Amino acid sequence: MRAGVSPGALLAVALLLLAVGASFAFLDLPLGALFTGSAANEAADFVKRFFPPDTSADFLAKVAWAALETLAISLLSTLLAVLLAAGLALPAAGRQGWLAGQVARFSLNLLRSVPELVWATLMVLAAGLGPFAGTLALALHTTGVLGRLFAEALENTPAAPAEALGGSGAPALATFLYGTLPLVAPQWLAYALYRWEMNIRMAAILGFVGAGGLGAQLYYSLSLFHEAEASTVILAMLVMAVAVDGVSAWLRRASA
Amino acid sequence: MGFSLDGVGLTHANGFRALRGVDLRVAAGERVALIGASGAGKTTLLRVLAASLRPSEGRVRLLGGEPWVDSPRALRRLRSRIGLVHQAPPIPPRQRVVTAVLAGRLGQWPVWKALASLLLPLDPAGAARELARLDMAERLYARCDRLSGGQLQRVALARVLYQQPELLLADEPVSAMDPALSELTVALLNEEALRRGVTLVASLHAVDLALRHFPRVVGVKEGAIAFDLPAAEVTEALLRDLYAAEGSLPLAGEISGVTAAPGLPPLRCA
Repeated sequence: MRAGVSPGALLAVALLLLAVGASFAFLDLPLGALFTGSAANEAADFVKRFFPPDTSADFLAKVAWAALETLAISLLSTLLAVLLAAGLALPAAGRQGWLAGQVARFSLNLLRSVPELVWATLMVLAAGLGPFAGTLALALHTTGVLGRLFAEALENTPAAPAEALGGSGAPALATFLYGTLPLVAPQWLAYALYRWEMNIRMAAILGFVGAGGLGAQLYYSLSLFHEAEASTVILAMLVMAVAVDGVSAWLRRASA
Repeated sequence: MGFSLDGVGLTHANGFRALRGVDLRVAAGERVALIGASGAGKTTLLRVLAASLRPSEGRVRLLGGEPWVDSPRALRRLRSRIGLVHQAPPIPPRQRVVTAVLAGRLGQWPVWKALASLLLPLDPAGAARELARLDMAERLYARCDRLSGGQLQRVALARVLYQQPELLLADEPVSAMDPALSELTVALLNEEALRRGVTLVASLHAVDLALRHFPRVVGVKEGAIAFDLPAAEVTEALLRDLYAAEGSLPLAGEISGVTAAPGLPPLRCA
């Protein structure tokens, strides 16, 4: 390999800079206005309105309640998604024949390609405002993502243990539980925990479209220009995300 | 009950002819050793006898059933009566020894029992009993990825012993064990077959083990049966011809006399 920067890389950087410049021109963004003194003052004023956060007992209780709701939404939706994904991953990995595999893969693609917020809007229309709609929306999208990851893990798993059990007359379910699940379980758990971390952040946002939890609280506060309240809610989201990351890291270590 | 193969041939999907014109009749309670160079077709033959591989031609009768003629249900029932010790122990690394051994009876247990046993092993005493015969009882709750190759092979063996099959098959069951342990393990397999009056067919890499422990020896060469004789009638010329491709005879010890060294780990065989 030759040291130094290749002409191709220089060309790529030049093209990238050109594209950035063109984007500013196209969107009519006054690049200079971002760096004027008045812009900085306005930004500082806006940030100041969020401090100090609202810590009245009344409001804290409200936020705690909403936080619990968000936690419950993320937990239930992830659990539901894990069950559905496991059910769809088996045919998607080609274990129940070609037709079932195509149907399962198509369903997973459909579930995955519709984003959580779109599912939430649909579920609010179908099931009404509230945490139920949020849970369903997250579960549907997460099923699509986990189902595909689970199926890939299954495809990459050695078949010998399951074949040996099938060869001694074990029925399909027992063969899967004793011969395949122990091999994929650590990977499945890691994927599920990762999606749980993402879902807790997502559950906090879904409230914006009326699907309950911390997001709903944040939406009310911001709509009424109660920045101090909004600041408390954002802090609560931060605390929750950090806590969930910690718990999931601990679970992953414990299962290794 | 025993089994019989009539004109069995098997061609793999890639066109390789693994077996050709195999005729083999073994009566109930017989103990047969399969020997032959690697790649001769011993594993394929055992998998046909385990009703796992369907031959491309010929007729297979096992324990009074015809696996590829009867219904799938009957095939599953038949398989639960046949135990095959695989060459590479097919056990998930994270599984506990007790679960791996109890899995031997999954073909006989109803599904609810299999599910319950996954949460709490239903018959740890039964698993411990089989492991004790292989001197592995103290590893009952160990995880299989904490075991050595030889220990894992003994767990796989304990699983098949726990299954209590009517046809006991073993594919190089001692390939990861030292000579002394191999000797005792092969003796244990024979003792089990004699005690329960079941048929035993084992492929062995070490010719001397086969000659010492089995009354009947079948030589396999290039997918066909080269000879099928009582152990006493197997001559050195026959063996030289059987292993011509490998150059030398694979032995665990010496052809005559047991060479298991004294002072090696004890292995209970009763």
